[in-house]
Amino acid sequence: MRRAVLLLALVAAAAGCGTSRPERGTLTIVVDAPFSRTPYLGSAIEDGARLAASEIDAAGLHVGDREYELRVVTMDDALSAARAVANVRSAVERHAVAIVNEGTGVDAAWRVARGTPIGIVFQGGRGLVDPVTRRNVFRIAPTDHGIAFRLAEYLVPKGYRVALLHDDSDYGDAGAGELRRAFAGNRSSVALDETLPASALDLSPQVLRARRAHATALLVWGRPATIAAVLTAARSAGWAVPVYTPPTGADPFVRQQLADHPAWIDGLTFAGGRLTSEVGAAPFETFAQKLQQAFGAEGVGVRTRTGGRVVQPPETAMYAYDFVRLVAAALTRAGSTDPRRVTAALEEVTVEGANGDERAFNRLNHEGVVDDDVYFARFRDMTYAPVRDDPLSATLPAIPQTR
Amino acid sequence: MTKTLTLPLLLGLASFGLTACGDKEEEGLKKACPTPAPAMKSPPTLPGKFPGAPGVVYTGIAKSGPATVVSGYLPTAIGPAHDAYAGAIKGASGYRVTKEEQDKADAEVNFAGAGNSGQVKLLQTCKARTRVTITIRPA
Repeated sequence: MRRAVLLLALVAAAAGCGTSRPERGTLTIVVDAPFSRTPYLGSAIEDGARLAASEIDAAGLHVGDREYELRVVTMDDALSAARAVANVRSAVERHAVAIVNEGTGVDAAWRVARGTPIGIVFQGGRGLVDPVTRRNVFRIAPTDHGIAFRLAEYLVPKGYRVALLHDDSDYGDAGAGELRRAFAGNRSSVALDETLPASALDLSPQVLRARRAHATALLVWGRPATIAAVLTAARSAGWAVPVYTPPTGADPFVRQQLADHPAWIDGLTFAGGRLTSEVGAAPFETFAQKLQQAFGAEGVGVRTRTGGRVVQPPETAMYAYDFVRLVAAALTRAGSTDPRRVTAALEEVTVEGANGDERAFNRLNHEGVVDDDVYFARFRDMTYAPVRDDPLSATLPAIPQTR
Repeated sequence: MTKTLTLPLLLGLASFGLTACGDKEEEGLKKACPTPAPAMKSPPTLPGKFPGAPGVVYTGIAKSGPATVVSGYLPTAIGPAHDAYAGAIKGASGYRVTKEEQDKADAEVNFAGAGNSGQVKLLQTCKARTRVTITIRPA
């Protein structure tokens, strides 16, 4: 018996020697997101990054002649530019190979990053991305320009007199600028251009001003709380005016705030990046299932009229997932973990995105979502589906949102 | 107003309509082409002197809010059509291709230049014809 055990041990040891490989190195990817201020957004970005990292690790990440695994580290920027800059500084000290960022603080953080690639996966502000002056900044998310112009292209032909309502957050300010550009050639379509206090709980006076200006549609560009407040003010006054928003209209917070009045959500229409590609919904749904298996479904916290539990399609998680996969491809292409070489390689690699579409940047363009991929979706019964009166949207399938 | 709403919508529906058809789409590429939409009497003036690909036939132009949407076709398959538009844009002074992609039956060429940006959407609908939809909007 003792001989048998010894033999087994020797065989095991020999087998171990035969297949031993150099120890994997570890590369850090920092997720810098507003976990404390907008938890949904933060966790969406983190989940997407972690899923990508786990898949990359399972497949093996080869950089030069060495194998690595990815480690995702989270940092909370609390929507503070100063904290975001401090986080990026910390990421550089940790030799992070990339930073996945919601967008806050990038105007200052890109320099602090010292060439480390930063992937913005939410904010769409003009000037955040510039391949010439900010070569290390990339974005996979719809631009504010694309959202604003697509909204104008959708709304002006309908003959609406639109009240442009935007809050005084950074997000609202950036959107206001793009809305003014988008409607500049169609000023007769604008009934009112009004700034809303992002901290206000009651926006009845501002909504009343829009009504008195004979607005026939409201375009609300602001944080989810602002959108909920505008809907509350309009509907509680009995005004059934159509309401349009940027992607924040789909944030679960809006539905949570109005959970007691689900009918107030009905008809809310938002613009966002298309979730599915020309090959159909299957790749995105597969991605959503993988994300759900790994981290659980992202529950919105509301139910449909028939009692179905509403879950959120993982749009932002998809962008974070795609960016991390691009970073891994760039690491392999560069054959180096040097930040500047990884940044340069990011302009050369292409991956298949979570929705089946190609994701890539190039030397002239660091935007991962083109303006013409902005679509519109409308809420009904706490879930949304692409509209049928827009050419692109009409071709897109609805994504299951109940469990 | 009706024209500005319906024309882009119809163009776009036609343009995107086949993209979700999978195998049917590929079958369509082998079919003979029906009579095309009539050409415009004179070539339209496009914003920013946007270049046309050699051989493009314009069939319509409409405003959709701030955007100009131009429709037409090229009497070629998708590959040559893609090359023709990418080449035309790259060769036009002040214009650049920001992103391009081609699949079996459709392609996109995204561009920027002359204070505008937008997309040329190409869709091969039959054996030797590719539908062209150009969206030009202020950058």
